Amino acid sequence: MPEVKLIPEKWVDRYGDYLFNFTISRVNDSIMAQDLVSETFLAGLKSAHRFKGQSTERTWLISILKRKIIDHYRKSNSKKGQAEVRMSYLDSGDQNGDWMEEQVRDLRNPNIEDEIEQKELGVALNECIAALPERYATIFVQKTIDKLDTETICKEHDITASNLWVIIHRARVQLMDCLNSKWYKKG
Amino acid sequence: MSRIFISCDEASILSTRDQYNDLSPKEKFRQKLHHGHCLGCRSFDKKSRLFSRTINGLSWVKLSKSQKNSIKQKLKDAMKK
Repeated sequence: MPEVKLIPEKWVDRYGDYLFNFTISRVNDSIMAQDLVSETFLAGLKSAHRFKGQSTERTWLISILKRKIIDHYRKSNSKKGQAEVRMSYLDSGDQNGDWMEEQVRDLRNPNIEDEIEQKELGVALNECIAALPERYATIFVQKTIDKLDTETICKEHDITASNLWVIIHRARVQLMDCLNSKWYKKG
Repeated sequence: MSRIFISCDEASILSTRDQYNDLSPKEKFRQKLHHGHCLGCRSFDKKSRLFSRTINGLSWVKLSKSQKNSIKQKLKDAMKK
């Protein structure tokens, strides 16, 4: 594998949307997701000297982002713990004891269940896309999610239309296998 | 005659292209003809359709231009330091 060089000037355009999508399916908060993506790029810049060029830029940035997301959850969980101690459901007169019932009722709501399932599926698919070779992932995302036309993608990557369809086909087959093992078999 | 009958490799690429509405009527006909006698490709086509439905059902989000610019500016400032 040829050694990869970092090009921070192009990070936002190349990986911004993908990392944002990856983050938002995990943290469910647009502003927080933007902050995490921005922190990821800054952390990448800071530790650029430690990049050995053995993985792609995208894989490296995702590994930084994953650590940022874990840190975010650690922080928010410790805050949540404190908030729960301060919560005063039992002191609020006629709402006495409603907390548990609300939780149970919410989880029974089919819309919420659907939402959770979609979110988990999104996370699984993002992980599968992250596991694709970078070129496959970029072209698949441009065609399928960004809905760019074939000609534009071919020009950008300097490939023919038939090359593009072979790449998309292979990416889809890998994604179907990956989702099958990560998602459908789990259910 | 050879262009009417296609191989399984060609049929699976056509299946993929079909998911993006990229087939000409001729290619659609070839694909249908192939699926008429090839169970494997028919099954792949079904899986491919299910996969497209799954992906289209998910909500994909993007950074807005202003969000991108704000991140780019932060990155630029950090690079100057």
